[in-house]
Amino acid sequence: MPRPAAAPPGRGPIPAHAGIGLRFRHHREVLESRPRIAWLEVHTENYMGGGAAPACLEALRRDYPVSLHGVGLSLGSAGGLDSIHLERVRRAVERFEPGLVSEHLSWSVAGGIYLADLLPLPLTEEALELVCRHVDQVQDVLARPILVENPSTYLQFRHSTIPEWEFLAALARRSGCGILCDVNNIYVSACNHGWDASAYLAALPATAIGEIHLAGHSVRTLEAGRRLRIDDHGSPVAPEVWALFREALERFGPVPTLIEWDTDVPPLEVLLEEAARAAVLLEELERSERYADAA
Amino acid sequence: MNATPTLLELQHALRRALLEGGETAACAEVVADGIEPAQRLAVYRNGYASRLSAALRLCYPAVQRLVGEEFFDGAARVFAFERPPRAAWLDEYGAEFADFLAGFPPAASLAYLPDVARLEWAVNRALHAPEAEPLDVGRLLELNEVQRASVRFAPHPALGLLRTDCPADEIWRAVLARDDAALGAIDPAAGPAWLLVERRDGDASVSRMSEPAWRFAFELCAGRPLHEVLDAACGIEAHSLLAQHFTAGRFVAFTIEDKKVATETSP
Repeated sequence: MPRPAAAPPGRGPIPAHAGIGLRFRHHREVLESRPRIAWLEVHTENYMGGGAAPACLEALRRDYPVSLHGVGLSLGSAGGLDSIHLERVRRAVERFEPGLVSEHLSWSVAGGIYLADLLPLPLTEEALELVCRHVDQVQDVLARPILVENPSTYLQFRHSTIPEWEFLAALARRSGCGILCDVNNIYVSACNHGWDASAYLAALPATAIGEIHLAGHSVRTLEAGRRLRIDDHGSPVAPEVWALFREALERFGPVPTLIEWDTDVPPLEVLLEEAARAAVLLEELERSERYADAA
Repeated sequence: MNATPTLLELQHALRRALLEGGETAACAEVVADGIEPAQRLAVYRNGYASRLSAALRLCYPAVQRLVGEEFFDGAARVFAFERPPRAAWLDEYGAEFADFLAGFPPAASLAYLPDVARLEWAVNRALHAPEAEPLDVGRLLELNEVQRASVRFAPHPALGLLRTDCPADEIWRAVLARDDAALGAIDPAAGPAWLLVERRDGDASVSRMSEPAWRFAFELCAGRPLHEVLDAACGIEAHSLLAQHFTAGRFVAFTIEDKKVATETSP
């Protein structure tokens, strides 16, 4: 059986190579064909129960390093973390022994209702303190550091006082968490709010970057011709996002990089081709670093 | 809202905006920057409904085929706004969809639809319930006769028992197999079905039972003491049914005199 290329044995840390987000429709194919891909990431919330999906991940993690990416902890909820959900995450981490565990700089729960989205926070001292406290709590319960991902947003609050990049840098510094740099999200939010995407990257602490996400987005035209970019993970990575990814690699060095696709999930080969493209850029960077070291 | 809302106030306002829509207090807190705050919030409101509609579509494939994609999405969105999820684990979301459909006027002409939905929810639970070790029957043999008579069983978390007014299992099978001939041959008024749903080799299995056998299983799963269930059983081979339940691993634990004796659900 072919083994994944250049990857350490399963359960190990996530290598600085290209991985793909594993979705249900590809379970069988990945199990049977064992494609050459350096690592896999799944949404933690889809593997909290029993049955076929967790069994599939159990099998795959013997051959591929696995990362657990959560969408439900709601790190920014003023009402506090849901301890039952945190316990579910802890059990999933215990069961699958992932190389990385990540969550989002966002909130999803208010008044006991789960709003099924990664909602934007007002970027204030109050929010920063709260998110730091919640990241501490999660890291205590999981007994390991987590990565926190920058969101894509479609609105900003009037009373925000801290730029998002400074908020993330402060969060990493104060809580000791790493940053999951979603390059597509930076591009989407920068376009939506008129930010400078390159300056955003430059403001992030390079040593805190533990992972990069790449995905496709769409453009929605609203009334009066105004456009919003929507992070729907339903298409190939945009050319501008590939360019920004190159910039990110130059700043951060080689980082585990993931291709995500969640809407209209394409055949596995399409995902693998996108990952191969990211892999080429990662390898170029490694070669040039070796060259620089030797010079 | 005050000049500067606290995070808690803001999040409650956002929750209302997402669930209720329109011009809400949250709009006042959002920077317009060329796009009306209500329109920006509508992007999130739409995302909320689409995501939950997609989650329900995964749970209820037969219901979706029976009513069509567009109708299903419309119903799912109404449901999402009326009965939002209480937890971030969406495997648990949608249990009330059958009840909702039963009271959803546009679906009133499809009397069998709520039953098919109830069956699909049970199937969904069978597929995703946590793993659990079947009861070690040897533990029962260690009890004395009085203790054994008082045993109450805990069912496997993937096990479901339901009674439907129509032959929901036949409809469900025919719809998922896209077998229009079989579907056409089903009489929705053929009377009730007593169903057992469980996980077999990672897949959901739905089987029919006789009414007395179903009642026997139902009472056992409800945790009634064994001697009461055996006394009430009539017209069935209770002991042989009990043995079948053991063999199929349908119980995971038992208690005597309120004291838990055996295995618990594994993570």
